[in-house]
Amino acid sequence: MSADHTEQSAADWLAREDRGLAPDEQAAMQAWLAESTLNRVAYLRLKDAWNRADRLAALKPGMKPMPEQASRHGWRLLAAALVVMAAGSAAAYYMLGRQSPVQTYVTERGGTRQVQLADGSRMQLNTDTRLRAEVTGTSRTVTLVSGEAYFDVVHDESRPFVVYAGNRRITDIGTRFSVYRNGDDVRVTVEEGRVRVDDLDARQPRPSVLVTGGYAMIAHRTEMLVAARSPQGISSDLSWRNGLLVFNQQSLAEVAEQFNRYNRRRLVVEGRARKIRIGGSFKADNIDGFTALLHQGFGLTVSKRGNDIVVSR
Amino acid sequence: MGGHQVDSWFMQEVLPLESALTRFLQRHWRQSADIADLRQETYARAYEAALRERPERIKPFLFQIARNLMIDRVRRQSVVSLETMADFDWLNVCDDGPSLERSIAARQQLRLLQQALDELPPRCRQVVVMRKIEGLSQKEVAARMGIAVETVENQVAKGMRLLAQAMHGRRAMVTSQARRFNIFRKLRDVR
Repeated sequence: MSADHTEQSAADWLAREDRGLAPDEQAAMQAWLAESTLNRVAYLRLKDAWNRADRLAALKPGMKPMPEQASRHGWRLLAAALVVMAAGSAAAYYMLGRQSPVQTYVTERGGTRQVQLADGSRMQLNTDTRLRAEVTGTSRTVTLVSGEAYFDVVHDESRPFVVYAGNRRITDIGTRFSVYRNGDDVRVTVEEGRVRVDDLDARQPRPSVLVTGGYAMIAHRTEMLVAARSPQGISSDLSWRNGLLVFNQQSLAEVAEQFNRYNRRRLVVEGRARKIRIGGSFKADNIDGFTALLHQGFGLTVSKRGNDIVVSR
Repeated sequence: MGGHQVDSWFMQEVLPLESALTRFLQRHWRQSADIADLRQETYARAYEAALRERPERIKPFLFQIARNLMIDRVRRQSVVSLETMADFDWLNVCDDGPSLERSIAARQQLRLLQQALDELPPRCRQVVVMRKIEGLSQKEVAARMGIAVETVENQVAKGMRLLAQAMHGRRAMVTSQARRFNIFRKLRDVR
């Protein structure tokens, strides 16, 4: 019996009770209540709400109206907030005007950071990331030294937005995308719009690769693979922006590697356990919850070794 | 505890925790269609446990039941699909913080009720107003509105379900806003 069905029966009984029960109805209701605790708790829950609704009688004409303070206070807060915002953007403008064009942004392991560039484009840095950004009157250049970042670029034809990651160059053609660099391996996920990717190391010139919204590009050595991503795939690639790691049937070895980007304590998976495939979404910093799950859900052995957490079968 | 004692224990001690329980379930169970079922089954198990022995601390007791229920469900699935669960900090979490729900002041409760009332469909709202604010009986409401008593009865049933849902839902919203604010502060602290 679904909760919805039970709740409807409970509501029907209470409505009859509210109208006044005949003796036989009274007996039938008691029987229904005795039938299952599920019935009883659904009944009590609605009865409680209906009893509490008696307080509405306080709204009878002639009773004191509800105080209106809240909304006036709200306006004052809003006004104050506007003043603060105006002051804040004035200060930002002042500071941006004085900034040197090359800025370095860094996050520590487990950290994240949002940055607005002088041209209005926004970047979000994932864990353990270092990048340099240079915005001038004629160019916009970001160098991803390590880690991962998401870009929401303000389109400007006269100043292409270029991201360097390892030996790849990603040129934005008006878009939102993220770039992950792990050594020389680079992954570009395009949420919207289009980017062009060039291999800077190629011995002989190679054609650029175009990646459009809904696609991801994975570069390994000289190869570049462009693959369509489902909307879920795109959102799981970008889930780190909300502090989540999302896996879809990935091996435990890969999963551990992802966790290790975010945490000081290292997750080490040994032996056959490395091949177990799992899916699900996890808070990137909840390594204890995750290993507890591996233990309870999969019966894996979890032990400590120095600063490492070792998982084995 | 006898049956009647457990009834009032359930209404006074357990039901005020509904929004916290719902959030707890939502946080850890991905399929939102299951939440109402899980909540009701948690209530039933809590009620039955209280018939045997009244628990000391209600919130950890309730969350423990919900947690066991979710673990049971996962274990019963033939293929372990982690997709069903949103996150796993519940495996070792013990939420024993002070309950915000309990401390909602009477005035605020009235405001929540009033908002819930305002959001009822027009006819349903009219019936509830006459019944609860003007204090008319169902029969009198039917006569006043020129509709059948059965119709009034149906509207009363509908009204109480919506009120129960809206009151808990809104409380949940207020507290989740507070939580989001805390998360925001945490993010800021990391930088």
